[in-house]
Amino acid sequence: MTVAIRSGRSPGRIALDRLRRDPAALFGGSIVALFVAVALAAPLLTAISGWDTQTFDKSAIDRSLGGVPYETFSAEHWLGVEPGTGRDVFARVVYGARISLLISVAATAVTVVAGTAAGLLAGYAGGRTDTILSRLMDLVMSFPSLIFMLALLSVAPDANRVLLLIAIMSMFSWPYVARIVRGQALSIKHREFVEAARVGGASGAHLLFRELLPNLSGPVLVYVTLAIPANIGTEAALSFLGVGVRPPTPSWGQMLDDSLKWYQVVPSYFIVPSLCLFLTVLAFTLLGDALRDALDPREARS
Amino acid sequence: MAKKLGLLALAVLLGTTACGGASGPKKPAADVGAQPPVTEAGKGGTLTILSNQDFEHLDPARNWTMPQMDFGLRYLYRSLVTFKSEPGAASLEVVPDLATTTGEMADGGKTWTFTLKDGLKYEDGSPIKAADVKYNLERSFAPELPGGPNYHKLVLKDADAYKGPYKSGELASIETPDDKTIVFRLKRAVAEFPYYATLPSFSPVPKAKDTKEQYDNRVFSSGPYKIESYTRGKEMILVRNENWDPASDPARKALPDRIVVKQGLRQSVIDDRLIADQGEDQTAITYADVNGESFAKILNNPKVKARFHNEIRGCTDVLAMNTQKAPFDNAKFRFALQYAIDKEAYQTVKGGPAAGEIATAFLPPSLSGGVPQDTLKIPATGDVEKAKQLIAESGVSTPVKVKLHTSTGAKNEATALQESLKRVGVEVEINTYDPAVYYDTIGDTAKFEGMASYGWCQDYPSGSSFIPMMFDGRTITEKGNSGNVSLFKDQETMDKIDEIYAMTDLKAADQAWVQLDAALMQKAPMIPLTWERKPLLAGSKVAGAFGHLIWSGQFDYAALGVKQ
Amino acid sequence: MIAYLGRRVLAVAGVLLVICAVTFIIFFVLPSDPALHACGKTCTTEQVDAVRAEMGLDRPVHEQFAGYVAKAFTGDLGYSYQNSLPVWDLLADRLPVSVSLALGAAVLWLSGGVLVGLVSALRRGTGLDRVLMAGTLASASVPVYFTAMMLLLVVVQHFELLPYPDYVAITEDPGAWAGNLLLPWLTLASLYAAMYARQTRSSMIETMGEPYIRTARAKGLPERTVVVKHGMRAGLTPIVTIFGMDLGGLLAGAVITEHVFGLPGIGQLTYDAIFKADQPVVLGVTLLAAFFITVANLVVDLVYAVIDPRVRYA
Repeated sequence: MTVAIRSGRSPGRIALDRLRRDPAALFGGSIVALFVAVALAAPLLTAISGWDTQTFDKSAIDRSLGGVPYETFSAEHWLGVEPGTGRDVFARVVYGARISLLISVAATAVTVVAGTAAGLLAGYAGGRTDTILSRLMDLVMSFPSLIFMLALLSVAPDANRVLLLIAIMSMFSWPYVARIVRGQALSIKHREFVEAARVGGASGAHLLFRELLPNLSGPVLVYVTLAIPANIGTEAALSFLGVGVRPPTPSWGQMLDDSLKWYQVVPSYFIVPSLCLFLTVLAFTLLGDALRDALDPREARS
Repeated sequence: MAKKLGLLALAVLLGTTACGGASGPKKPAADVGAQPPVTEAGKGGTLTILSNQDFEHLDPARNWTMPQMDFGLRYLYRSLVTFKSEPGAASLEVVPDLATTTGEMADGGKTWTFTLKDGLKYEDGSPIKAADVKYNLERSFAPELPGGPNYHKLVLKDADAYKGPYKSGELASIETPDDKTIVFRLKRAVAEFPYYATLPSFSPVPKAKDTKEQYDNRVFSSGPYKIESYTRGKEMILVRNENWDPASDPARKALPDRIVVKQGLRQSVIDDRLIADQGEDQTAITYADVNGESFAKILNNPKVKARFHNEIRGCTDVLAMNTQKAPFDNAKFRFALQYAIDKEAYQTVKGGPAAGEIATAFLPPSLSGGVPQDTLKIPATGDVEKAKQLIAESGVSTPVKVKLHTSTGAKNEATALQESLKRVGVEVEINTYDPAVYYDTIGDTAKFEGMASYGWCQDYPSGSSFIPMMFDGRTITEKGNSGNVSLFKDQETMDKIDEIYAMTDLKAADQAWVQLDAALMQKAPMIPLTWERKPLLAGSKVAGAFGHLIWSGQFDYAALGVKQ
Repeated sequence: MIAYLGRRVLAVAGVLLVICAVTFIIFFVLPSDPALHACGKTCTTEQVDAVRAEMGLDRPVHEQFAGYVAKAFTGDLGYSYQNSLPVWDLLADRLPVSVSLALGAAVLWLSGGVLVGLVSALRRGTGLDRVLMAGTLASASVPVYFTAMMLLLVVVQHFELLPYPDYVAITEDPGAWAGNLLLPWLTLASLYAAMYARQTRSSMIETMGEPYIRTARAKGLPERTVVVKHGMRAGLTPIVTIFGMDLGGLLAGAVITEHVFGLPGIGQLTYDAIFKADQPVVLGVTLLAAFFITVANLVVDLVYAVIDPRVRYA
């Protein structure tokens, strides 16, 4: 807060300035931006590469050996082809980025919004509201989520899979945010600066948005940076169990699961989606770290 | 693989019971059949079976899926008759097991009598009695013990209301006049009854040792091995049954001293271990199919390739269409799709020629005299122009949207079909299901629509184990419909089936099934895709490994041994 | 305190009951018919009905549920549809595997993760901090499949340092037990340790900036006392929370790790049961998992209160 007073700039502005000066943030940010751009420009990119996600290229695979690709990377198929079918890996990775990012980011967003709201309400309001919400959180968190996601997704096979996946993935993860937020809210509530603001006659809304929320952004951001990649992983697990997006729609999760069996024979097919996943996760984490540092009002670097 | 699990050994004998001919089971010609592989295996050693799954049911009253039928019948219990333990066509021959002959027919096929050999004993040394075979057959009727073979239940006299020994007492149509003799009285003539008697239901279970549901976990042995320990899903150890007399049992070699089954491993790990062939894995075999992804590793290495087996399974992979709902109620449209499918792409996704041959008829070659039938002469990649022309003639306007149901494991195969049909303006939406619910879904006639990936396996070498179950409109059941998934009701086909049933000349009948197959290719209620092979690996110190035609290409466990 | 504990234990029972009910309903509406499966191939409708009656599945769902709960209270979780073994025995048989996996991995990740996090926090801004944090970032970003596969490829297949993981009970041969579980432990731990290191670091940095820490320092307490007595006590509170939840979840089976390594634990049992529509086993596993998770939560809350004096019972 002292920083804000001294420079007279808004906290958001300060955060942005800080981010610009942080090489890790720039690195993470550019990778995230790159993947988002790739996802958005997928049709353009595949038009340039000349192969779409679905066409089988039988000339690229050796039928007699169970469909092993002849070449790893080539001018024809930039990232090689999928064993067995001969579908272009570049096209599938590029389109897969769309689905994987969409599902994981959307599920995280829903989770964070719902979780923060519930957690703040519980921690700040206390009393009976807290008890009820906490019990609800306990209840949802006690559900072995993978089993339930699987069961739920297989009961409703005909709905829009993407929306369904987002809904079900956030349904079981909001309490994790809520719990962190509640815990932080509880401990912050009794801190000097909040007490001071309250004694100073600040309104409830002011306390919530000006004092509590900014202080909560750190832990919540840590959660977000871990939740996006974790959700990509959940999407992968669900695809693996047969309740993910419908084939032939590609997603990184499906690719990773398909390629797992080929990791020795066609390592490139296994490494490409793994690397994409690794880079995305790394980038989000770097960005999130930097963002947290930048947003922290108590963080004084100079 | 899961797709087939529920279908192996299907109750294809059902229809053949109307046959009534005097001829017994078909005997293969003496000059056919490969030589048994050279075995250097003596007695002794430990054979390890690496498995990715638990046995479903080892209780002989309930054992009716293929890998464990082979395992149970070859190691733990003997039935009245059994199949020869030989590679190639010789394995199709029925030989006596507990009984002295393959059965004596009387009353035009309505009465069958078997006599037990002398001196047969269980693992505790007590004698095997005819009444014990009768008792196990009675158990197979009990609703407490579901899952076992059905054939005998449908032909035994006065058995319709019978609910097993726990509720209904004894079944009168099985008689045991003495400890050695067992007589079956049937509702109608069944010339092929010895085939029934090869099944686990015809194995003995003494009443005193019956533990009902728990019998699955501890079978009382009449075969060459007994269970030392069994932790379900983890490990089973078999040791020699000292009371088993090899002289009474020419079918089983029983070479190893111990058999260890390790369960719950990942198939890719099993493949890798067997390819690496180190230490104990040299005396190991895989229980389930080798993964298609492992083929490249196996086929590129001559040393490993020599240990690779892929006998033809007698199974046909098909694409079934609901012939009662649009657009597949249009026979011309279905026929057009025969030309649209790129079977080569489908085969490649499945693992290439090592995993199966391209199917050009419903009957696998083993059921059409060893010669693959191909009446339509469609190129393996399809004939798109012809297909488009036929679709135009059919009156179905494209693009047309259809659903394709498949189980989770077969989703890539489904995309191969999707991709081929796109070429002719048929847009396919793929719905995948857990293997656990897949057959319930497509077997629910009220709910099933569109297309489904499907497969059928032979139980014994005759067209009667295929055509009637897949295409007889009278076999359709409202729920759990597992054979005629296309809901194909065609009077001409049903009349033809009855006509072939009535034939007494089995050679002529075989020919007639082949002709009916060709006619069905024109009516196209399903589209044949591939004839599967059974890909298996054995360690370098395993001897006597060959795929047995009756056990759908599984290793014949009776012949396996360990090189010292 | 006693009353609080009593309330929470009651709540645990309530949670289990609700979860049981929800599981029951989900499996009731699933398009899978266990009787049809049990009956086998080409069963007539009459045969399926007989089997259904035998399995007790012809009764209305609330009646089945009441029966299940009543029995569950006496410790009887029913019998598997697949193999007729008591579900309780199946769970008891698989539990040691999952517990070995979870506890071993937890020791590794907790010691490694917290240590790295502490060092990093106390040496904030130094080269060491940067190296450690870069390491955890990379480690947390690697997909778990990839770690597992690479470990198998390098350690087992290439250098043949360890056998293929194949569970051996600790009572049988402690050496083989640890040797076989080492790779699964490392796989799980490399993922979790990174998360714990990051969480520890951020939490410790925050705590060490608190006014009361400054006060403690101003009082002239030695830095060691400040860090250990005052800093870690509050700084590690969030770690306890996540650890409780993670361990609770893992005790009931790490489905993917067990599946990738072929370990016959609860996770593998769950996987098989779901795919075979074996409802009693799925129910049993669900209840066991829920039990571990709720108890872990309860313990976390109690520990929370002990180590962080700012939290009081509502």
